[in-house]
Amino acid sequence: MKLTHIQRDALQELGNIGAAHAATTLSTMLSANISMSVPEIKVIDISEIYKYVGDEIAALVLFQVNGEVKHGGYLLLYIPKTSVIRLTNAMLGLTDVNRELDEMDESALLEVGNIMVSAFLDGTAELLNIIMLPSPPQLVIDMPHAAIESIIASQDTEDIDEIVLFKTALVSDAHNIQSSIFLFPNHPMLEDIIRRLEELLNPPA
Amino acid sequence: MPTGNDTVIIGIGEYKVGSMPMASIGLGSCVGLVIHDRQTGTGALVHIMLPSSQGKTDRPGKYADTAIDVLIKELTQIGSSPANLIAKIAGGSAMFKTFSGNLNIGDRNVEVIRKLLKDQKIPIKGEDVGGSVGRTIFYYPKENGKLVIKKGDGTLSEL
Repeated sequence: MKLTHIQRDALQELGNIGAAHAATTLSTMLSANISMSVPEIKVIDISEIYKYVGDEIAALVLFQVNGEVKHGGYLLLYIPKTSVIRLTNAMLGLTDVNRELDEMDESALLEVGNIMVSAFLDGTAELLNIIMLPSPPQLVIDMPHAAIESIIASQDTEDIDEIVLFKTALVSDAHNIQSSIFLFPNHPMLEDIIRRLEELLNPPA
Repeated sequence: MPTGNDTVIIGIGEYKVGSMPMASIGLGSCVGLVIHDRQTGTGALVHIMLPSSQGKTDRPGKYADTAIDVLIKELTQIGSSPANLIAKIAGGSAMFKTFSGNLNIGDRNVEVIRKLLKDQKIPIKGEDVGGSVGRTIFYYPKENGKLVIKKGDGTLSEL
């Protein structure tokens, strides 16, 4: 699959809007500035996914995207383990950074994930004028590659050879917290999004 | 981890045959299958994603049925005798409980691989499968086919 320049730009703009909404909510929760990277959009062969997501243990809050878009896709909030502790500490006013992740971190992650991902989808839905809803979140603290390949393998509607990776980094310098939002649109959702974006660019006469 | 520069990484749906160290990063529901030749110190690692090719031939390493066929064929071509072959498997976990889709795909991968290996009379000499954690595996053909497994819960083991 090849994305045209226009499709890539359109997706990038969509991601920008979603990520900006998510960054605003994170900024509010942490009372700190959040910087946001330019979203990366790549079509990746399944055999090369390990070059983009590895096996360093991280917290992943995953959402299936439902709503008007059929077969949806997945949104994923990715936070490296060390950042998780700093995130919980910043939210709850704690200081101990040399501790193991516990239930408190897990609740904080689910909460932050819910808020950020809802904001992301609100932002993109506003632009596309469609409703996209996140499923209840699933938290996995494990190897990111293992989680992502499990998702790809479980799609019974499609036998997937490549994925569209959409990634943007959200960073709080004040608290030294790194995070990324990944979007993996399934094919029907990708096509639907691209069609709607093209209509926005070239409104039917 | 012992990933020298000479270690070949086998991505999803790929396989390699030879005597160099090989690794697969972050196996979830996928299964890393090693078929090792005890006589020659060579072997193969494949990163299997799905149980059945349903007739597709473009990515033999991606599906259990085509993967096992191609591994045996290529090992035989470089001089392995089927009687010397053994297998080791790792992976096939179920990391998600509530999403829609085939959440038990890991179990099905393992089941089909066991059956196909039995059909081919290749004994499974070690396995670390199932559960809910990810696994990174390192295969060393020259060290008696040693398979080192690093799990998402931080444990390290050897088959």
